[in-house]
Amino acid sequence: MNRSLTGATVQIDLKSPTLNDEEIDYLRSQLRENYDLIVRGVELGDDSASPPIAAAPTTHTISQTTEAPTTRDGEPSRIVPCTIRSGQMEEFPQGSLIIYGDVNSGGEVRAGGDIVVLGTLRGNACAGTNGRLSAVIIAMDLAALQLQIGNCVNRSATDQKPPGYPEIARIGPEDVIVIEKFVKF
Amino acid sequence: MGKVIVVTSGKGGVGKTTSTANLGTALALLGKSVVLVDADVGLRNLDIVMGLESRVVYTSMDVIEKQCELNKALVRDRRVDGLMLLAASQKNNKDDMQPEQMKAICDKLRTTYDFTLVDSPAGIERGFRNASAGADEAIVVTTPDVSAIRDADRIIGLLQNVEIEPINLVINRFSPQLVGNGSMMDQADVLDILNIDLIGVVPEDSAVITSTNRGIPLVYEDGSPGAQAYMRIARRLTGQRIPIPDLEQKGLFSNILNWFTKKR
Ligand SMILES: Nc1ncnc2c1ncn2[C@@H]1O[C@H](COP(=O)(O)OP(=O)(O)O)[C@@H](O)[C@H]1O
Ligand SMILES: [Mg+2]
Repeated sequence: MNRSLTGATVQIDLKSPTLNDEEIDYLRSQLRENYDLIVRGVELGDDSASPPIAAAPTTHTISQTTEAPTTRDGEPSRIVPCTIRSGQMEEFPQGSLIIYGDVNSGGEVRAGGDIVVLGTLRGNACAGTNGRLSAVIIAMDLAALQLQIGNCVNRSATDQKPPGYPEIARIGPEDVIVIEKFVKF
Repeated sequence: MGKVIVVTSGKGGVGKTTSTANLGTALALLGKSVVLVDADVGLRNLDIVMGLESRVVYTSMDVIEKQCELNKALVRDRRVDGLMLLAASQKNNKDDMQPEQMKAICDKLRTTYDFTLVDSPAGIERGFRNASAGADEAIVVTTPDVSAIRDADRIIGLLQNVEIEPINLVINRFSPQLVGNGSMMDQADVLDILNIDLIGVVPEDSAVITSTNRGIPLVYEDGSPGAQAYMRIARRLTGQRIPIPDLEQKGLFSNILNWFTKKR
């Protein structure tokens, strides 16, 4: 948490209607106690709101099996609180993985859904292993030499340094993985 | 009660034995009681680097097989007081030793010596497990190249699994010239990946090779940059706070050059 926010008033947009009053109160008191943040208002989204990724491809039904999910609705997620080092592997077939650290060269992360790396992704990442082709891989620094989403594999042609801003990888037109600057969900 | 520190790396040839010999000698020169344990069973060479080859009679294997007492197996250093060596058996191999046996030896040494430095073999198998079995702390040695760093990363993960803490990093064979012209990773790049505490940077120093061959640890060569780096690391191990000097020759020109060649 950025310390310069201490004492500030914030508006939290949760984009999810699933929090009850009790949970909101808890969040409010936690932010107050731990970060000295005052919650002025809480805006809850509703089900009709646009899906988190507007760009989620809809044209990939051909290769999809009938059971494969098409949205991340109801998918659980797992938080990994540390760096994945060489030789280590983190797998979560049921849903998405959020890594609070790096994934180093020689390390591997595999998720049924999305993969979010709040650090540098240097190792192998394989998202969408449950067949959801709208799965994405997001990293603060995307430095991986190889990415996989579903059955699509992308190998970077060069060993260029990452650009210094977060990037998102997803399946674009013609079933190739495209990497773009990540702005927001 | 002393500390048992395993010196390890994953990759071979990055300077584990060199670092063990020099840090051990440096600590003894600072007045600490030190024992060096060669855990590279079957491929021992710490005794050669220390110039003690001719004095080795018993090895850790003899202690384990109860052929001799631990104290009797320790070889006294020729040059500095308070420095001992426990050699590895050359005729056995790594599977002849159990991690618990090594741990028992380290537990005994810890009660008498300020520092027990265990020179680990390369690899992540039995030899590494034996070497780290009795350790409280670790020193991971790496050179600034991608394959050594990946192996160091692997080792750090394994050390963290068995809760060895702290794990300190030594970057060895660092060359300011190569960093300057963009062909070697700098300190920040290495630390960015490995994300553990840096305890020192040892420059590439040709005096290391001659000292290895003569069996006289480099730290006796006062003027050499490598010797100075090892002395500083030893002081940090004793708890002294000494800043890590920036070995990188960063003039304005090389900074600009770096900016063009490394970033895009
Ligand atoms: N800082 C250094 N500068 C020059 N040569 C070095 C340096 N550190 C180690 N070496 C050389 O590298 C070789 C391997 O070192 P060693 O300590 O035996 O590695 P390890 O025990 O990790 O296998 C030796 O020949 C040694 O002299
Ligand atoms: Mg060695």
